[in-house]
Amino acid sequence: MAVFLILPLAIFLLFVIWPFVQAIYYSLTDWGGFSPTMNFIGFDNFVKLANDDTFMQAVFNCILLGIFVPLITIVVALIIASVVTVAGPSKGTIRGVKGSGFYRTVSFFPYCIPAIVIGLIWSQVYDPSAGLLNGFLTSIGLHKFTNFAWLGEVATAMPASMFVIIWGFIGFYTVLFVAAIKSIPAEIYEAVRLDGATRFRTAWSITLPSIRDNIQTAYIYLGIAALDSFVYMSALFPNAGGPANTTLVISQDLFNTAFRKGQFGYATAMGVVLAAITLLFAAIVFGIVRLTKGREEGRS
Amino acid sequence: MRPCGRTRRTINTYNTEKKGNTHTMTTENRGVDRRSFLRGAMAAAVAVPITVSLASCSSGGSGDSGSGGTKSAKNPFGIKESSSIEAVIFNGGYGYDYVSYAAKLVDKKWKTTSKVKPQTNIAQSLQPRFVGGNPPDLIDNSGANQIGFNTILKSLETLDDVFAANNYEGKKISDTLYPNVKVPGTFSNKFVAMNYVMTVYAVWYSASLFEENGWTPPKTWDEALDLGAKAKAKGKYLFVWGKEAATYYLTLALDSAIKEGGLDVMNAVNNLEKNAWSQKPIQDVFNALEKIVKAGYFIPGGAGTQFTAAQAKWSNDQQAILYPSGGWIENEMKKATKEGFKMTGAPAMTVTSDSKLPYEALRAAAGEPYIVPSQGKNVAGGKEIMRAMLSKDAATNFSKTRLAPTIVKGLVPADGFGSTALVSQTKMLDAAGDNIFDWEFSSLYGLNTDQLVIWNSFLSGQADVAALTKQMQKISDDAAASK
Repeated sequence: MAVFLILPLAIFLLFVIWPFVQAIYYSLTDWGGFSPTMNFIGFDNFVKLANDDTFMQAVFNCILLGIFVPLITIVVALIIASVVTVAGPSKGTIRGVKGSGFYRTVSFFPYCIPAIVIGLIWSQVYDPSAGLLNGFLTSIGLHKFTNFAWLGEVATAMPASMFVIIWGFIGFYTVLFVAAIKSIPAEIYEAVRLDGATRFRTAWSITLPSIRDNIQTAYIYLGIAALDSFVYMSALFPNAGGPANTTLVISQDLFNTAFRKGQFGYATAMGVVLAAITLLFAAIVFGIVRLTKGREEGRS
Repeated sequence: MRPCGRTRRTINTYNTEKKGNTHTMTTENRGVDRRSFLRGAMAAAVAVPITVSLASCSSGGSGDSGSGGTKSAKNPFGIKESSSIEAVIFNGGYGYDYVSYAAKLVDKKWKTTSKVKPQTNIAQSLQPRFVGGNPPDLIDNSGANQIGFNTILKSLETLDDVFAANNYEGKKISDTLYPNVKVPGTFSNKFVAMNYVMTVYAVWYSASLFEENGWTPPKTWDEALDLGAKAKAKGKYLFVWGKEAATYYLTLALDSAIKEGGLDVMNAVNNLEKNAWSQKPIQDVFNALEKIVKAGYFIPGGAGTQFTAAQAKWSNDQQAILYPSGGWIENEMKKATKEGFKMTGAPAMTVTSDSKLPYEALRAAAGEPYIVPSQGKNVAGGKEIMRAMLSKDAATNFSKTRLAPTIVKGLVPADGFGSTALVSQTKMLDAAGDNIFDWEFSSLYGLNTDQLVIWNSFLSGQADVAALTKQMQKISDDAAASK
């Protein structure tokens, strides 16, 4: 009996908690990465981080990603999921629009492509002179986009990268929400239809509250993925942080600091900060969900 | 991109400015890079604490066993017969089989058993072995993920005895080399890295295109501006840049400023001095470059263009007529160079015609740093392979198969094995004589990534000279603070 409890616990401690503890320890040293010895320097790395403009820019970028990527992905995925499941013709049984199976399948396609490939494809699409996007824009007469560097301008680099990340995620979350919506009894939709609710009202008052837990989970997963974003950003901006570092993410900064500058202690401190931000993000999402749920329950 | 270099670089992910390298960026290399991204991502996200813990668990010393042979004039490092030697070689644009070639010569001579292993991620793969005290005997510490020299300096052998030894033809090795080749491998006055490949930094152009149009490569920035106007008249641009290689223009600008103002300019920058980037020659060059940017002589959109695609606009489409780069450019663009292009290099332009160093002065540096860890099992074996590489047979084999000069002089025939770029590199080196300089601060402190950001902004006209100077100085000051 004890074995079943102790063994998993030991594995968990050894392979999860212990590395965490070690990472925290290394973040308090000046370890360069290639020596068996290091000096303990207390919180110096964290003080230095707070004054590191590049790192703070990366934190800011990650926060932007953590807000917009999950929000937009979930809104769009929810709309698609509603349309292909319950927002179909207003006569007959509750169903999606015509051809919904096709849309559902197609929306899943991007998710089948590895993130690194998505990044590489889109960096070609965004190419200033040979890219599909500018090719299309200039062919319909928008000549100011000739040689326009979508990934090279401060104003467009971040939105363009967010679009790529969102494009990659939407399919999966659509499928997730479709499954969730299908578990809501059709009678409820029939009842609100009889009451004359519009499709928007149906989505807002019936669908959304019914799949709240799925959305919360999706939000947290997406947020964690967005806070990382390493693969997408590295593919879109190899070697650098985008124009004026506007797309630099913490994990890229960490990678550079550790593997290019040989400051492993400092880089580990970045990792610890990223972990703290991720935990904080999850806590905020839980908090918001709990708050809104409390209000609705109070009302009913 | 340049890939690698000594301390540097690489690829796509890669880093740095540096020299040497040719490597990197051919198509096959891109594949490797992508893979290393993923690996890097994993390493960064997950594996750091784990590797670290494993590595630190095994930090035992191994000591230097194995150098049991007797030292003599014929056996300068005391290699033991029938011992085994392990070499880990960065597998980039130059491949690694040229080292196998040299190792075979050693094996034949000493009946040793050499293992030459290719590796694309030097830092990640060798980190645990350094920490554990059992590194290989010879390492080509190159590529995007090379180990920063400041982190391993203490655990490396000095290589002065290699250059003092005789090569396999019986000549003292140091007498057969280009000048200043020790410089890029010397850190804190310790010569620890033998940089094997001679990289010449130049402004490259198509000799055939220039002849057709009656153009000559510009010797000063004013001439460059004039040439830009002439190119514009033909519907062409003067320069092109790609987002991962924007700092090639940093190289050009700094080389130009060093020639204008002398080696003091370089030393200030190299030593990360305060206000180093405000020195007059550097400011003059920045202003000249800004004029060219403002005149619209750069192909727009470089900040969003993948660098090999940008380079193809010069070598294949001929939309741009000049491109600053290292000598690896010919190899890198081999498959994307127009027929009859006749790639030729010219030294960086100067600001005025009475610059401190002559126009022929050149940034030429040895790249591909080979190191011998002190804790390796067969230190003498590692040095013996170096000695073989620096001998005529192996060095000629390298130039012939890779179309790049090594640090060994006089092995490239007049026809350059059929390469106009190799011929012009040799010619530029000969013309420069002793006026050869090199700077390493960028790769030494891993600054290329930070520098790329501001250079992309500057070349696209989003940042002016003041912003560029401020940012370059800040990057330098930050590096000085973390020294």
